[in-house]
Amino acid sequence: MTPLLELKNLRKDFGGLRAVDDVSLTVPEGAIVGLIGPNGSGKSTLINLIAGSTDPSAGQVRFAGQDISDLPSNEVFKMGIARGYQEPALYFKMTVLDNVLLPVKDQRGERPWFAPWRRFWQHEESAHAEAAVQALEQVQLLQHYDTLASDLSGGQMKLLEIARCLMGKPKLLLLDEPTAGVAPKLAYEIFQQIARLRDDFGITLLIVEHRLEILFDFADYVYVMHLGKLLAQGGVDEIAQDAIVREVYFGE
Amino acid sequence: MINIDIGATAISILTLFGIYSLMSISLNLEYGVAGLPNFGKALFISIGAYTAGITYTRLLPLLAGAEAIHPCGPTMGGALQLRSEIMASQPIAGFINFALTLVFAAVIADAVGFAVSYVTLRLKEEWFLALVLLVGGETVRILVRGADDFICSHNGISGVAQPFFFVADPRSRALLFMLLSLALALLAYLCSQRLYHSPFGRMLKGLRENEEVTRGLGKNISLARAQIMAVGSLMAAIGGVLFALNTGFVNTNDFVVNLTLDVWVMVVLGGIGNNRGALLGALLIAIMDRFAQIGAIVLNMGGSEIEFNYVRFIAFGLILLWMLRYRPSGLLPESRLTTDAHDVVRRVIGASK
Ligand SMILES: Nc1ncnc2c1ncn2[C@@H]1O[C@H](COP(=O)(O)OP(=O)(O)OP(=O)(O)O)[C@@H](O)[C@H]1O
Ligand SMILES: [Mg+2]
Repeated sequence: MTPLLELKNLRKDFGGLRAVDDVSLTVPEGAIVGLIGPNGSGKSTLINLIAGSTDPSAGQVRFAGQDISDLPSNEVFKMGIARGYQEPALYFKMTVLDNVLLPVKDQRGERPWFAPWRRFWQHEESAHAEAAVQALEQVQLLQHYDTLASDLSGGQMKLLEIARCLMGKPKLLLLDEPTAGVAPKLAYEIFQQIARLRDDFGITLLIVEHRLEILFDFADYVYVMHLGKLLAQGGVDEIAQDAIVREVYFGE
Repeated sequence: MINIDIGATAISILTLFGIYSLMSISLNLEYGVAGLPNFGKALFISIGAYTAGITYTRLLPLLAGAEAIHPCGPTMGGALQLRSEIMASQPIAGFINFALTLVFAAVIADAVGFAVSYVTLRLKEEWFLALVLLVGGETVRILVRGADDFICSHNGISGVAQPFFFVADPRSRALLFMLLSLALALLAYLCSQRLYHSPFGRMLKGLRENEEVTRGLGKNISLARAQIMAVGSLMAAIGGVLFALNTGFVNTNDFVVNLTLDVWVMVVLGGIGNNRGALLGALLIAIMDRFAQIGAIVLNMGGSEIEFNYVRFIAFGLILLWMLRYRPSGLLPESRLTTDAHDVVRRVIGASK
């Protein structure tokens, strides 16, 4: 069976700096895959390459058997890959509800010739609003639906970002440090929510995370990056025991 | 002393208010809502005015069943007399001509606005578009000025009369044109309010706040921006038609960068991102314009040497600076966007409680 996501000899150069160096990896459908590595090892760049935010210098990104290496990020999203950002990248001047409604695909009311005539899109928008209620309930943000995103706590922002991704009905969700800047207890809860996305909706996950103790509780498989290269891969126990990983990652 | 006719002053201010509103609302959609700094407003306004210049000299005689006379050069006087006669005696031809002028101006501006921004925004970011429009607007003006045979750009075209020209009483005539311009402004306002609260408005606000993220959420942002530029350009061109009809004159000298800056002052003064603010800005500038003109007359009659146009420039510059320094969000700041979906959610939550 072809894996949902497959990276083949992926490379990204920034001037003289090789941020991602010949990385090949696979993410099988329905898995929670972790991506770890010290600061500056190229994890976020790898996420950007998959999401189409930046084009690879060499190599391929294949999604569901198709080459998506050169697709722009909007096309990648439409194919079913949604992403979160390391720094919260919400629409801070919009309400929570508008944040989650914006990514809904193919909205009639987004076409300028329909937009002024409410009756062309009102019905559809109501249906989307009800889907948004579900997504916000999922991350316990429903009661904050008309709060400005800038007024949320750090943890709530991370959750809102996940809910926003869900509204695009992704097959693959890329999360870049979903618990950054979040209190430890809430961090664990966020991971429980994430695991539920896989269990309830069959969403496949690729997660960059620094909190290994939490990640290792939920991940099926882990890749380790160092200086742009893949250093190691394996099941959680294997990686946790790996001597080289411990040396690079923990400086032991 | 001079006598100020309060009624006539009010009518002329409100007429200008309607015309300026079309311009300020269109810039507010482009810049206030979508974040596109359109420094080519004068270009799109001029498209409307030039279109009027062409229809009044070519189409109007045709509609009236007369033979068109070349509008420039030696036959200028005859052509002017012909269109004045038609406008005074054949209201139906006048109105059809007016309606078609609006349609042509809208279609042309729409296409130009869309094409220019789609091409430039795919190449570079929005400030590049601002430059292209700023330079392009002036280039087009100079080119049009050079093409004298087309709209007699050296002398300008006079007798571009408003469609109620056939009404004998000047006061009622002006009043009717005022109502027409206010009605078109109201239409533009209602349309842009609806756009603002629609999913299209939500997407535009999204790309104003964070372009990268909005693209990453599946939106074709060059298309969306070209679309709002098309809408804005259409409104500006309709404003341009009324602008020409209000002065009765089409002249390339009117569409210099100053006009663009005037529209910017309206939006910055009124409130960036707020359609009501755009209306307020248009009203204040219309009032200031009128009183500046009256002031100029009074001053000149008093023997003053001050050129009032410069006073107006300085005043506008000061307003702009003062606003940007002390009230960057304008007199009426943007309200929090609440789309209709919020009502739906409120209902859903209410029902489940
Ligand atoms: N746009 C860019 N231009 C130039 N260099 C970049 C760019 N983005 C990332 N880099 C560099 O590429 C390397 C990898 O960065 P990246 O952000 O992918 O690391 P990371 O593993 O996500 O680190 P962290 O754990 O701190 O988030 C770093 O040296 C970084 O400075
Ligand atoms: Mg990173």
